[in-house]
Amino acid sequence: MNLRYYLMRRIFLIIPTLIGLSVLTFSIARLVPGDPVGLAAGPQATPEIRETFRRNFGLDKPLPVQYLTYMQGIFRGDFGESLYSRRDVFEDLKRFFPATFELTVMAIFIATVLGVPAGVVSAMYRNRIPDHISRVISLFFVSFPAFWLAMIFQTVLGRELGLVPIGRRFSIVEAPPNTVSGLYILDSIIARDLDSLWLSLRHIFVPALVLSFSALASITRITRASMIETLEKDFVRMERAIGIPYQLIITKYVLRNAFIATLTVISLNFGWLMAGAVLIETIFDWPGLGLYAVESSLSLDFQPIMGITIIYGVVFSTINIITDMLYGVLDPRIRYG
Amino acid sequence: MAEISSSNVTDLESGAPVRWDNLRRGLYRFRSNTLSMVGLSALLIIVVIAIIAPFVVPFPEDAEGALHVTERLQAPSSVHPFGTDKVGRDIFSRVLMGTGLAFRVGFVIIVLATTIGVSIGGIAGYFGGWLDEILMRITDIFLTVPALVLAIAITAALGNGITNTMIGISLVWWPGFARLTRSLVLSLREEPFVEAAFGIGASNMRIIFRHILPNAVSPIIIKMTTDFGFAVLTAAALGFIGLGAQPPTPEWGAMINDGRSYFPDEWWIATFPGMAIWLMVFSWNLLGDGLRDVLDPRARR
Repeated sequence: MNLRYYLMRRIFLIIPTLIGLSVLTFSIARLVPGDPVGLAAGPQATPEIRETFRRNFGLDKPLPVQYLTYMQGIFRGDFGESLYSRRDVFEDLKRFFPATFELTVMAIFIATVLGVPAGVVSAMYRNRIPDHISRVISLFFVSFPAFWLAMIFQTVLGRELGLVPIGRRFSIVEAPPNTVSGLYILDSIIARDLDSLWLSLRHIFVPALVLSFSALASITRITRASMIETLEKDFVRMERAIGIPYQLIITKYVLRNAFIATLTVISLNFGWLMAGAVLIETIFDWPGLGLYAVESSLSLDFQPIMGITIIYGVVFSTINIITDMLYGVLDPRIRYG
Repeated sequence: MAEISSSNVTDLESGAPVRWDNLRRGLYRFRSNTLSMVGLSALLIIVVIAIIAPFVVPFPEDAEGALHVTERLQAPSSVHPFGTDKVGRDIFSRVLMGTGLAFRVGFVIIVLATTIGVSIGGIAGYFGGWLDEILMRITDIFLTVPALVLAIAITAALGNGITNTMIGISLVWWPGFARLTRSLVLSLREEPFVEAAFGIGASNMRIIFRHILPNAVSPIIIKMTTDFGFAVLTAAALGFIGLGAQPPTPEWGAMINDGRSYFPDEWWIATFPGMAIWLMVFSWNLLGDGLRDVLDPRARR
């Protein structure tokens, strides 16, 4: 049982989950008491217009037929078109996904940079003042309603102090960097365009910072707990006994061992932050999946919502697999089978 | 937590002396944990506020649809400690009246999610086999999509309103409880006392309710406590988006949404409901963090 076999099996196992997910969202979309057609066709629509609408979108056929038609489309990269804007859902998803992905990666990066050291300090000063302070601070921040904090940060840092732009991913007047990945930071680096890089970073910083708060507490807590567990291992006592500097023991030996548990929590958080991004995007006008999901939900436009949930499903499953792969990198004893 | 554990206290059959001892030790640890005591006290105060709010707030009618257009957008003053909103309603009264609502919302979500999750996880873990496989694959489906996105979709489908928000969030909140319960049941099933009960021919029901669930209570309670705050937060988020409680319901998230376009000039409209949410969630988190230390001593050393 080698790595390639393991990987193939894991990827294969995603398929039934994704099919289940599509059935679930399809059921939500079709068995609803709400009246999407009425909403899309407008209040003045005559019964004939509604009927045409229904026929155009295939809503007059039996549900299983509708489902199969939809699934056939997905395999051709056709997620249908929005009931409301008449735009192609797949094109929209392609455009909005990188924005959400970039925001989430940045937030995870900030949460790790803040959370792991806080956890390490907590473990080193276990049950003493620095430990208590870091615990209270992380609980303090995780308890804020992110959308509220986002609104205040946006106003104070953006509008009042003028330190950062108040919304969107990029300047409205200037052209974003050449699209390679759709991730503006990466694209700016590829294009060696320092101005674009600086502009993208300024736009992403505050949204990502606010988003990172919700992951801070769990990253700090797990780093602390697994650091403490590792610090009690015999090899640490031995290393101290033979006189290796404590700082070196912590950074080189203990943290590396403790990081496996932290990695699990970071990858779990990646999913939660992508969900949290929904709210942050609404505040900062961030043109990502979250804003798209909220706008579609408010207009009962379920074609995009089905596409969005399936994209989320694919991303989540992929992240889980990548996490399991990374375990092997950090701990060579782990074998896949 | 004390009530639930004490129901077993006089029960000699299920190892009462040990439980008594654990409970006493747990209470001691809990009392000596300053943060969780702060959290518990804050929550008790919030509960008292929720109960007495309808009788003591200066303008109880403002929690419903009252309009005082002449007093609109007033800054905080002695008459209106938190100011007034765009139709002149007293924000202080509305924030306080919203406390009870936030409690009810959190409570309903957590109880529904726990009931569904513990049943599904318990059945899957106890009976195993194909039943386990099916139930866990269903759970996985829910876990592959961010709860918030699914909750938004379900609530949108059911129609706006606070009841549908609660249903929508509960329907996406249970998988965590199912996973937790399943893992607890799986390990408890291997314990000698459960095998002994099997051996003397105890029925499945008896084993589940007398031997397995009582021993799985602590971690489930910890999760209920830590999740409570986040459930309140999620419901407020849906209210903020506009899918949850509709005006004039004094729901904190909807109130923030209401004040958003007046921020920062009329800052008080959105600020005070946000602080109320923070206070409630922070208190739950302090309590939950402390309970984790008490009920699961391995988690914090």
